[in-house]
Amino acid sequence: MKHVLLVEPDRVLADTYRRAFIADGYSVTMCASAQSAIFAADEKRPDVVVAELQLIRHSGIEFLYEFRSYDDWHDVPVVINSQVPPSEFSRSWQLLNRELGVEQYYYKPSTTLATLLSAIRRLTNPLPAS
Amino acid sequence: MIGDASAPILSQQLLVTVAEQLKMPLLQLARQAELGQLAGKADLAAMQTTADTALRLIDNYVLGVRLSLDQDQLELEPISVSSVLYDSGHELSKLARGYGVDLELHVGGRYSTVMANRHGLQSALVSLGAALIEALPALEVPQLKLQLAAHRCRYGIVAGLYSETEQLTSEALRGGRALVGASRQPLGTLTHTAGAGVFVADAILKAMQLTLKASRHHNLYGLGTTLQPNHQLQLI
Repeated sequence: MKHVLLVEPDRVLADTYRRAFIADGYSVTMCASAQSAIFAADEKRPDVVVAELQLIRHSGIEFLYEFRSYDDWHDVPVVINSQVPPSEFSRSWQLLNRELGVEQYYYKPSTTLATLLSAIRRLTNPLPAS
Repeated sequence: MIGDASAPILSQQLLVTVAEQLKMPLLQLARQAELGQLAGKADLAAMQTTADTALRLIDNYVLGVRLSLDQDQLELEPISVSSVLYDSGHELSKLARGYGVDLELHVGGRYSTVMANRHGLQSALVSLGAALIEALPALEVPQLKLQLAAHRCRYGIVAGLYSETEQLTSEALRGGRALVGASRQPLGTLTHTAGAGVFVADAILKAMQLTLKASRHHNLYGLGTTLQPNHQLQLI
């Protein structure tokens, strides 16, 4: 079973995402902060990370810098699902994509569960190279 | 008064913060409804609590604006602090359950009545409580407990909300007031949201000539307001 590391500070929203991911066949670890997400990644070895950027104390960007600093997690796909509009990162998409390995950036208020699940399926079951 | 741009309750900054905050319950509702469609069964009780949270925030914001615009609406009456805390706790209980937070009432001793606007005081406490309930799980404190509490201090009776989180400080509150409207997360060390409940409580209390302050209750940290005991009623 593929494992999703969900970094989501809102308990109610996190629980809704968790239930949707489980219903789609994934196991899930929920974390509310950057620090606990690093510990959880070490323990659970996620196949994909879904992260909010707007966290308490350390931001999602700080989490990504820390996460990518470990060799083991270089290739783990990351999806941002955030309250922060992507327009705020229009000039720094190169940083998110190339340096921090963000595969997809979703603006949370306009991203359905179906869209998010579709991205997770694609990233955890990549098409074989032809 | 309407033209007084410096009055925080009328400020566009507070309105922006409330609007930003309202995205959260609406987002929760949208995803809960979608999950209900996918799973064939919706958690209607959770959706009702979420909708009630949004409605309460709007109501409290409007109350703050009305009180600051028209002081005649600010009818004072002798009220029991314990009773206001109890009713506030009742109003917050479903939200607390949804966030896995233990809400406790801690009123040590008997207090004389205070002169205040009951609706305003309760709305401020509920608004503040809702903001802290949403924040506590995100802070990952060891114990998800929030106390609605009152205690005596040299200036009167302090009523407020308290938890183990050390982030509930004067500095956080001062910084948040300075950033409200300008930052998406003005209370960045305390909550992942816009923290609108804290600022709406601040505005309601200000309209009532009261102040929201950081305070301690036993070994807990919190935010509360100091109320003046009604000495006349005490004599009767």
